[in-house]
Parts: sequence; structure tokens; C-alpha cells
Amino acid sequence: MSTYTSIEILQNPAEQAVDLAQNVWKRFRRHRGAIVGMILFASLALLCILAPLSPYDPEKSNLAEKFQPPSATHWLGTDALGRDLFTRIIYGGRISLAVGGIAVAISLLIGVPIGALAGYYGGTLDSILMRITDAFLSLPSFLVLILLAAILREVEIPFFQRNNVFTISFVIGILSWMTFARLVRAAFLTLRELDYVSAARALGSSDGRIILGHILPNGIGVVIVEATLQLGYAIIQEAGLSFLSFGIQQPTPSWGNLISTAQDHFIKYPWLAVFPGLMIFLSIISVNYIGDGLRDAFDPYKVLERVGEYT
Amino acid sequence: MTTFIARRLIQTVALLFILSIILFALVNLAPGGPLSAYGGRRIRPEKIELLKRQFGLDRPLPIQYIYWLAGNDWIQIDSDSDGVTDEPGTRKGILRGDFGFSYRTREPVLHEIGLRLPNTITLMGITMFTAIAIAIPLGIYSALKQYSFFDFFATTFSFAGQAIPEFWLGLLLILIFYAWLKNPWTGEPLLPSGGMSSLGSGFSLSDRLSHLVLPVLTGALGWIAWYSRFLRSSLLEILPLNYLRSARARGLSERRVVLRHALSNALIPIVTLIALDLPYIFTGAVLIETIFAWPGMGRLYYQAAVERDYPLLMAVLIIGAGFIILCNLIADILYAYLDPRVRYE
Amino acid sequence: MFTKTRSLFFLIPIIIISLVFTACGGAQPSTTSNGNETGEPPAAASTDKNITIVIPEDPPSFNPMVADTGYDALVMELVLLGLTDIDPNGNIFPELATELPSIENGGVTVDEDAGTMSVTWKMRDDVQWQDGKPVTADDVLFTWEAISNPDTGSWIPGSDYIDSVEKTDQYAFTVNYNTIYPGYLTQFGGEQVSVWPAHFCDATQGFVSWDCGRKPLSDGPFVLEEWVEGDHLTFKKNEKFYQAGKPDVNQVIVQIVPDDAVRKTMMLQGDADIDMWVNVNTANDLKGAEKAGVSFSPTDRWVMRMFMNEAAKGTTDAAASPHPILSDVNVRKAIRMAVDVDTINKDIFHGLANPTWTEFFRQPYQCEIPRPTYDPEAAKTMLEQAGWTDSDGDGIRECHGCTTGAADGYKMEMEFITYAEYGEPLELTQQLIAEMLGNIGIKMNISVVEGSVLWDLAENGGIEQTGNFDIDLWDDGYAGVDPTDYVWETYSEEAIQPGAGWNVTRWDNPVVDALIDETYTLNEQDRKDTFCAIGDFINEEVPIIHLFTVPNADAYSTRIEGVQSSVNDLVTWNIADWKLK
Repeated sequence: MSTYTSIEILQNPAEQAVDLAQNVWKRFRRHRGAIVGMILFASLALLCILAPLSPYDPEKSNLAEKFQPPSATHWLGTDALGRDLFTRIIYGGRISLAVGGIAVAISLLIGVPIGALAGYYGGTLDSILMRITDAFLSLPSFLVLILLAAILREVEIPFFQRNNVFTISFVIGILSWMTFARLVRAAFLTLRELDYVSAARALGSSDGRIILGHILPNGIGVVIVEATLQLGYAIIQEAGLSFLSFGIQQPTPSWGNLISTAQDHFIKYPWLAVFPGLMIFLSIISVNYIGDGLRDAFDPYKVLERVGEYT
Repeated sequence: MTTFIARRLIQTVALLFILSIILFALVNLAPGGPLSAYGGRRIRPEKIELLKRQFGLDRPLPIQYIYWLAGNDWIQIDSDSDGVTDEPGTRKGILRGDFGFSYRTREPVLHEIGLRLPNTITLMGITMFTAIAIAIPLGIYSALKQYSFFDFFATTFSFAGQAIPEFWLGLLLILIFYAWLKNPWTGEPLLPSGGMSSLGSGFSLSDRLSHLVLPVLTGALGWIAWYSRFLRSSLLEILPLNYLRSARARGLSERRVVLRHALSNALIPIVTLIALDLPYIFTGAVLIETIFAWPGMGRLYYQAAVERDYPLLMAVLIIGAGFIILCNLIADILYAYLDPRVRYE
Repeated sequence: MFTKTRSLFFLIPIIIISLVFTACGGAQPSTTSNGNETGEPPAAASTDKNITIVIPEDPPSFNPMVADTGYDALVMELVLLGLTDIDPNGNIFPELATELPSIENGGVTVDEDAGTMSVTWKMRDDVQWQDGKPVTADDVLFTWEAISNPDTGSWIPGSDYIDSVEKTDQYAFTVNYNTIYPGYLTQFGGEQVSVWPAHFCDATQGFVSWDCGRKPLSDGPFVLEEWVEGDHLTFKKNEKFYQAGKPDVNQVIVQIVPDDAVRKTMMLQGDADIDMWVNVNTANDLKGAEKAGVSFSPTDRWVMRMFMNEAAKGTTDAAASPHPILSDVNVRKAIRMAVDVDTINKDIFHGLANPTWTEFFRQPYQCEIPRPTYDPEAAKTMLEQAGWTDSDGDGIRECHGCTTGAADGYKMEMEFITYAEYGEPLELTQQLIAEMLGNIGIKMNISVVEGSVLWDLAENGGIEQTGNFDIDLWDDGYAGVDPTDYVWETYSEEAIQPGAGWNVTRWDNPVVDALIDETYTLNEQDRKDTFCAIGDFINEEVPIIHLFTVPNADAYSTRIEGVQSSVNDLVTWNIADWKLK
């Protein structure tokens, strides 16, 4: 998958990283869908970051204007308490995107080390770690997600307060690290046999340095690609959980619970359900295109094939 | 092969055992419990003591687990709470197939599940079948006509299909087909918005089918997108291979080459994907069943989770986990069976 | 070469299984008490005297004591009778009994010295079970024994006060109480308790799980014909019903329709005749419908109220650890003045709620309590005078000279909880109230928790029982007509102990405790005066802010006459009297 040869270990890891990044970016640029995805996602994120600029308060009610359809003053209409839907959606976006990001970060923090250790050392450590991974994979994930959310949501540990973004992210992250573990392990199993690794070992490098400095940078491509896809997956999980009322609670808006509260009224006032879902859709499709672009970018053969230079 | 299977089965049992302990702990740890709300309101303190005993919640947690696993008809229990153990219990434990009774209805858990399971299997089975039936031709055509307009459309469609949240799609479809579009003949909504069948119509195939359309569409879309894309890339990897070049050189039509020779190999990873997705037939329908008010397992689980109906929760979780493990095993075996390259490793 | 066909073989079982299940239709019919097993659609009896009731889920049983979902009581009213029942205005009337026992007619004898009483009931002799056997005192004794079984029984109001039940004649029996119990009239009747057949139900199976709870023997207006779980129940008219000429309805189909919107559409189109417990939004949508109407209960039960914890959050002793904000009665009064009940009613409940400001607003204990004013400016002044001012201009008041013992500068910020299962109107109410309180300088942080967590036992960390809240909001109210037990468990000092009762506000007023003891008497005038005195105290010391009653409504088709929604029972309470036009 990677084109680095033995000669390149003479470069130090920092330079290697920069080099890699530049190559990847060059290839990424040629993927039209990914560029569109990146622009789209960046716009969404920007919109959510700039949420406080909205003239409307996401939680203050305005009963005189409830249930209004989209108009010039309220671009996406208003909800049951007269609150501007567009404002609530972009505030909700902060929560949903944050949950997605933190959940992926947690998955990475758990999955990557497990996969790396299992793949590098092999043997009994590998067996044990893979058994644990299998155990987690055997859980009916959405069902257990509901259960965990119910438990942790009410527990009074300082970090895990009611309705905390971190709680939901943790719950999602802890049930989705397995893909990373498997990917990283597979990558390590292949990469550790390469010549330059034996060379590094012969030169006396410690295990840690080999893992972090030599193997991981080469395996990182797959992980990054998977991370972008997992981001989309985490956003959908949070939305589903909040939709069932097990996730983020009112009055804090999140895309999922906006759709959930719209359920009672969406036949009469469809915009309440349509627009939050549209935001979810746009974020995930943009993230998926970015992921696709990254996949091509890390694998040069794919790109050449797409433009017809390689069959 | 048989030692492989035997070894995996033993591992499965061990895994299930450990999972059952973890799940049991999780279920009981969830704050709130079956003793806190009755009929949607607070419950009388007098009733609580009685219910505690009837639900077996007055014993310490490890003992409760043992009763759940192996029953309590082999020891004396204190059935009328006078402090003296006087007669054996009536539970046999899941090792002997007794999953206990639901706190809500006092009916055996398996009976409750048995009522709903066929509905879920029907819904998800048909969904999966529809998804596969559409995804395969879509993937094939897309691969053959690579870079054509159709391919571009199909690829975009598959990205979109994977990005749409199921529950949102369900609501949108209800909006369009139930609220907006009307049947030109009767003036009534074109498609029903929920449930499995209409009032008092007995069994009518057209009625059942009309109730299936929207939930199946909602659930199948994601799978169609995913499978067709996978099949396309799998096929694209195979089409350039040498053995097909020889087939073409021998004068076989492109169609024959693809359908007879390439497809069978391209389908192998799809088959394992399907096998891995099978558990969703049992566990994956929570969101769809909630939106379309489909009386199935997903909804049962959701209701049991809200009410903290422990025996029902445990049963669904453990059966779900068992099913997943089984499907993983089948997937592995199938993969080895279907792909000779794996076997010879 | 043939791997493609192999993979097809794999798919074929899936296809076959799913087609088989579609064909079977999923639900299995269960045998009825007549022994017929049918999977056929319910055959229409004589045309047009049929009605359809739609409910979202199967009743768990015909015995409401099992799970109390409401759907059980609904179908129980079709097939089983109790000694007495309650009408929508709270009047108790006899069903199986010939008359209501009282001191005047000698049915009730009180031993003032011992503080005990006995009630003698006389039953009708013309009521039969559907198999022809008469309903007798044996059935009542049998029911009581099953209920009071410590292992397989249940608890009904009065369970703890009954010493014994003795049969005195084929159609008469006496209940001996160990105290003066004002609620004796609905002892074996009312919404949840019926008389079960001694010769048909199997006592060894236990009251809560016996088979006759799913396949009952009927003495009521209808007989269960078939129950296809997940789909429908069919009842036909009981020819042996003791009231001649009734019921008018020939057949009742109870259809399971889980989706709210579908049930509403069915009502609008005339495909369903009764939709039970319609929520506020549906009731509003059905206004002016041509084929359907909404019946509201003349009395209300569920009062939306704010419970204010007078003990510090997480504790249960208001004297030892008073709440830094809520232990000052003026703060509680100010909060009451800041909530605009009329706006909430108009904008969220479509005007269908009734503003209520006391516990005692229902007959026969209606008390004259002045309505609290809505005056946010006066509330602000009151808070200022109580020592809560906003010195740093952030919109939230702090303690500067407050009397609760809070440290100087303590912020007026609290957690506001409600429960999830009610639905959107409650959540919106909570948000509005939080905003109204924010306008007078109190910051409320909103939480929505599951009911089972809010009301869980103290030992499991239940929020109310452990006092782990500042203010919580939900709709509570007592069943039937007698508030005695409810008042004790909500306002008495003994009920403060977690597990002993539900005095979650930890309000402790010895005068009120003495008054509560005095309510255990049979003198109705005395009881009313006492309750009203208690009501005055509640109004003065505001442990709970009563806001409004939530409407209890059922939708009915205009084909039916005589439907009357009741807060004391399910809408089928008088189904024997319904007439079809």
C-alpha cells in the first residue's frame, strides 16, 4: 500500500511526515468529490462555530411566533415555542459535531494502541486482545448503546453528569473502536515484516520507536480514512440515540433530538423535521466524500486507475 | 475443518458466558428499575416489597445471576417471605431454556419474544432481500459501465444512501406518501403510515404489502448503497484479471464473461458481508419499528429498556449476541468454503 | 465455477422464511374461553351495532393489578364487575352490591374505643357468570384470598387495614377492619379491583399470573370471544348480563394500533369509534371534526405541580441541612408569582388545561382557596426583600442578606427536573417555566429524566427519594374520591423518611400532622373542614406549587351516545349504557 522503500528510513520522522502530507494533498486535490466534500463540511463547521452571531436565542421562547413556516425573518421557520429553527440547528450542530469528533477520538485512543500492540507483538498478547475485540464485536451494538446511555446518563460522577456531551461521546466511542483495532493490527502484521523494520531493529531502535516512528506513519493512511467514515457513523449514532430520547436532552438542541421533538407535529409543520435531518445528511455525505478522497490519496494506484492511466 | 468448527464453538460458549455476566451487570446497574414506576406513576411502598419478592430482586446480585442462569428449582427458597426457606423455586434458568417471565405481563419471556420475532424477521428479511435484489444488478451495471453517466449517478446515489439517517428518511417518506400524496381513486393517503395491517381486514396480501413498502424502502436504502458500491469495486478488481482475459480471448461474449466467470468470484466478499449483516435482522430494527409502529423485537426492546423489564432485556441481548457470534462463525466458514484461495493458506 | 449458485442457495432460505412469515401474518391466535381457535377476521355480528376501540398496545392482562397500564382496566370493564364503581363526578354506585353500606343503614358498625370497624355487604342474587353459575360471596372471598397471598398476590388500598373477610350468607359477607378506614366503599371495586370467579380461576397459579387473567370468565356486559395478540380482541354481547336490555352494542372490537397519527386518522374518518386517552394535541385537532368528538372528564385528577425541596439537594432533613434557596417561604412564594399558568395553558395545552392552585379542588372536598396572583414584578420585589439581589449584573441573583443560611454571594441557580414519558407538552412547559423564572433572576438548569429514575427507591438512588433535586415538575393526583392516604404520604412528617412515603419536599409542620390524623374519621363534614384547613396551610407555606390540571380526554365517534370520559375510571366504565344511533 505504501511506496516507501528502505532508503527512506534515513530521513527523520518529521521530514517523512511532511513529505507524506504533501504527496497525499497533491493526490487528494485531484479528487473532485473530495474537494466538494471538504468545502461543504468546512462551511457546515464554520456555520456552527459562528452560531453565537445569530440574532436569535436558541432557547428563549417567543410564543407569538410559534410554528411559522420558513420566511425572510426566520429562514427555516420556528418551532413550538417560537424559537428560530435555523439558530437551533446550528447550535445543535455544535453538539452533534462535537459528539462525533470526541467519539472518534475516543475510538482511536482505544483502538489504535490495541491494534498496534496486537499486530506488533503477536502471540498470546495478540490472542487476548483479539478475544476482547471479538467480545465487543459480538455485542448488539445499538441495543447496548441504549443501555449504556441510560446508565451513564444518570450516574453522578463529576465527569459524567446528566446530559453531558462527553458521556454520549464516550458511550459511542467505546462501542466503535474495534474497526480501528482490526485495521491497525492488519497493517502492523504486514508492515512489521518489511525490510526496513528489520534494519531499524538491527540498528538497535527500541520497540516504541519502531512502532511510533516507522510502522505507524505508514499505516496511518488507513486509519485516517476510517476515522473520517467513523465520524459520519458517530454523528448518525448520536442522532439515533437522541431521537430515541436516550442521548442529548432538551433544551440543548442536537440534530437528533430536534427531529425527535418534531415528530408530534411534522405532518402539519414539516420543516421542523426536514431541516435538521438535511444537516445530518449533508455532514455525512461530505465526510464520506472526504474519506473517499483520502483513500485515493493514500493509495496512488487507485488514482491512476481512475484517470485511466492504470488498468 | 471440523476441528476448526469445534474449537470455535467452544470459544463461542465461553464468550457467551462472559458476555452474559457483563450484560447482566449492565442491565442491573442501569439506574431506575422495575420497582420505581407502575402505570406511569410512582408505586406504593407496600407494593414495592411484594414486587421485589415476585421479581426475585430481593436477593443479592450474584445470586440473582445464578438463578437466571441455572434456575432455582434445585434449592429451597423463601417463597412467602416469612424468613424461612420452605420450598423449591419454579425457575429453570436459561441453561434449560427458561428465560423467566416479563415483569410487565408476567408471561414467559420467550412467549413475548415469539410474538414479535416473526414480525421483525418478516420486515428485516424482506428489507434485506429487496436490498440485495436491487444492489446486485446495480453494482454489476455500474461496474460494467464504468465512468458512464449511469455509473456516476449510481456512485453518487450510494454515497447519498449511506449518508441519510434512517429515521429521517422514514419521516420524509411518511410525509410524502401518507400526508401529501393521495390515492387517485379513493382520495385516501397513498400508503399507510404505520402498523402491519389495517383494521379488521383479516389477511390481505395487498394490504400487507402496502404496509411494508415504506419501512422496507427506509431500511433497504442504506444497504443498497453499501452493497452495490462494494460489489462494484469488487467486480472492478476482478474484471482486469488474467483469467478473464483468456476467456475473452476464447471468444466468449462480454456478458458471459461477466455473469458466469467474474461475478461468482466478486460475490464472495458480498456473501460474507451479508452473513455479517444477518444479525441486524434480529437486532437492527429499533429505529424503523419505532417510526412505523411496527410490532417487532426492536420496539419490544425499546419498551423494555424504558420500563427496565430486566428478564426481557437480558433475553434480547443474549439472544442477539448469540446470533451475532453464530453469524460471524458462518461468515468465516462460508468465506473459507467459497474462496479457495483462503483455504490453501 | 458454481459459486454464484452456491451463494444463491444461501439467499433462498432467507427469502423463503420471510415469505412464510408474511403469509402467516405474524400473530398467532390464542384460544378463547369458548375453546374456538380462529385466525379469521372477526365476523360481523348483526350489522352496525358494532364498535371499534383503538389502543396502542395489547393489555398485559385483564387484571389491572399486574401492570396497571390502563389498557387492562379498559378491557376489564367489559367483562368483569366489582362490588361498586365510581362515576365521573366521584360518586360511588353499587354494581354487584345491592346498596352502599353506611352507618345509617346498619351496613357499617364502628367500635369507637377500639378504633376498628366492620362493613357488611349484601350482594345481588341475579348476576351470573357466563357459564350460568351465580356470582356469590364465595367469589369475593376467593378474590380476597388471592390478593392477600403474600407470595403471588398484590396490594390494594385497604390491604393493610383488613383483618378478615367473613362470609355470612350466600350473598353476604363482612369485612373487618383494624382501623377506621374511610375508603371502604371501593374496597372490592372501583377502577382496578374486580370480583373473580372462584370456580374458574386457578388459585395455585397466583393472582398476578393466573390464566383466567388472560382468558376471563365474564359476568359483565360482554364476553371475550378471541384475542389475537398484537392485533385485536373481540367481544360479543353477554346475553346473560343482569341488566335487561343492555348492552345496546352487540360487538366490541379492540384493535391494536400503535401509531398515534393512524388512530387519529381512523377517528376522523369514522373507522374507529373510541380512542382512549388522547393527548392534548390530538384533542385539539379533533375539534370540529364531523364524525368524532372529544369527551372530557368533568373532574380532573392529575395536577401539574412543582415540588420544591426544602432540604439541601442530596439530603432529606430540612432542619439539619436546609436548602440554601428554597427553604425561605418568601422565595417559594415569589416563584409561584412568577409562573404564568394562563399562558402555558393557552399556548401549549390549547386552553384545555384547568388552572388549579390547591390540592382540594375536587368534590366532595372543594375548598375556597384564593387564586395566587401572577405578578412577576411583585415576585422580583419579594426576592429583593428576601435578600436576593443581583449585584454583578449577570441576570442571576445572589444571596446578600438572605435568611436561608446560604453564604454571601451564593448564586440563585438550581436544577429543574421533569420526566420524559409524558411527552413534548411537559417539556415545553418546563422550558417556559424556566424562562419565566429566569426573567425574575433565578437560573434553572433543565434536566429530563426517565420516570423510573425519578421515582426509584432510595436505596437505588432514586432522585426524589434521595432528595437529589431542587425543583421537580410533574403531574400527580390521588385516585378515586378520597385524598386521605395521598395527603398523608405527601405532606406528613412521617412520610419524610425515604421509603416511608413521598413527602419529597420535606415539609414538616406539626399542626398539619395533627390535622392529617384527624382526617381518619367517617364524619364527612369534619373531614372536609380538616382538609380545607390543611389546604390553607399548604397555600401559606407553599411546599408545592399547584399549576393546572391536565385534561383527561377520550375521543369518541358521533355514532355513539353516552360516552363520558372519567378521571376515576376508564372510558368504558359505562359501556353497558352506550347506545348506537
